[in-house]
Amino acid sequence: MICRLLFSVALLAARPAAIAQLAEAEARLKSAVGEVLAVADRTASRGALHESLRPVLRKHVSFETMTRRAVGPGWRQFTPAQQQQATQLFSTLIIRSYSSKFTPGEHPAITYKTAASPAAGRVDVPTITVYKGSRFSVNYRMEQEQGWKITDVVIEGVSLIANYRSQLDAQFKKGGANAVISSLTQSVSRSR
Amino acid sequence: MKSNTLLIRLLALAVAPFLTDCATTPKTGAAQPAAAVKAAGKEKAPARAALAQAGEKEDEYAAAEISDPLEPVNRGVFWVNDQLYTFVFKPIAKGYQLIFPKPVRKGIDNAFENVKYPVRFVNCALQGKFKRAGQETGKFFVNTIGGVGGIFQPAEKIPSLAHVPAEDTAQTLASWGIGHGPYIVLPLLGPSSVRDTVGLAGDYAANPVNWPYLYWNTGDWNIVPPASNTLRSMPGQFETYDAATKEAVDPYLSARSTYVQNRAEEARK
Repeated sequence: MICRLLFSVALLAARPAAIAQLAEAEARLKSAVGEVLAVADRTASRGALHESLRPVLRKHVSFETMTRRAVGPGWRQFTPAQQQQATQLFSTLIIRSYSSKFTPGEHPAITYKTAASPAAGRVDVPTITVYKGSRFSVNYRMEQEQGWKITDVVIEGVSLIANYRSQLDAQFKKGGANAVISSLTQSVSRSR
Repeated sequence: MKSNTLLIRLLALAVAPFLTDCATTPKTGAAQPAAAVKAAGKEKAPARAALAQAGEKEDEYAAAEISDPLEPVNRGVFWVNDQLYTFVFKPIAKGYQLIFPKPVRKGIDNAFENVKYPVRFVNCALQGKFKRAGQETGKFFVNTIGGVGGIFQPAEKIPSLAHVPAEDTAQTLASWGIGHGPYIVLPLLGPSSVRDTVGLAGDYAANPVNWPYLYWNTGDWNIVPPASNTLRSMPGQFETYDAATKEAVDPYLSARSTYVQNRAEEARK
């Protein structure tokens, strides 16, 4: 009896908490996207964009989590120094690849759809983004780690992290942490 | 009633070439998926073991891949394609974008997508998505009549007809439970799989743009519609290609992963 009572109380308590979580994550994402767009608007050239977006993205994106997941199971075999170096390189690559998607003078129209929380501390926010006349489904994965952070972006079903996982995992199987780091170094220095 | 018989006629018309085309191509398709499934199964087991060892429990990123026994050949074709894109086709696409202003290109794209209606209709029907088949039909008539032959898209303003996810033959095969089979990089066309190559052949045969060339034997000009269709679709395709390869660590793997993930998403819709 008491058990049941406790259970229903827990349920009642849990529901608003989950809803609050959704609202919080979504609000957080909206302000992040707003900040990014404001910075993108102020920056005239595409070349300078990745420099000006860097601090904003650092604030809202968890590059540590992204790098760990993009590397995959091999991450455990990285030394702390290697982990730090990989994170550094990978965030540069992500910031660049993200900023290269912007064309100066173009404004995306973003419609936020109903967010869902597949697990505690995680919220997926689906959006429809119309950019340069094309319509894309863009889903943001938010996770709670010292505030809500973006941990993945899924564009038309293509997850940024899953995409890099396929590449970095292959490098890891070839030559361990060193191969991953040198391949990242190469890509960072190759473009631009 | 009248539109019903027209539908049936259209369906028959579109299905016939699709079937004949299928009868000649899928020999390889039918034989290989079973082997591919086996290979994929074999690969998955050790990966899962390694994961358990590492103690990472939230690893949803390990999935969404494809067997690639032809990787050395595929990488070769991928490289050749990349050279052709860079030095031949991207300049052509650039020229096209230079000559036609964006609104004109949009209209051309719309018209070609509108004409492709039988591909979408037939594949909706073959997947049992009859409501969607009806939406496609409504959209086709609204856009053809109200949109001057599909150049404009008034149907997108009608909530019940807006943003209908496009079906294609490969998605139909997927919905019938047929797996990708091995990954293939097609010359010029790029990432595909055994299943999706069969799908492409089906789409090609069911697309009215190709009918004069394929079935009507109408003389030399019949190559014009398919060629224009290819030309107009190039800028968009190169945008996708660049997005997948530009900032990649390994462009080949990035394109492959992008392709597989995107196709899975389209099949889900």
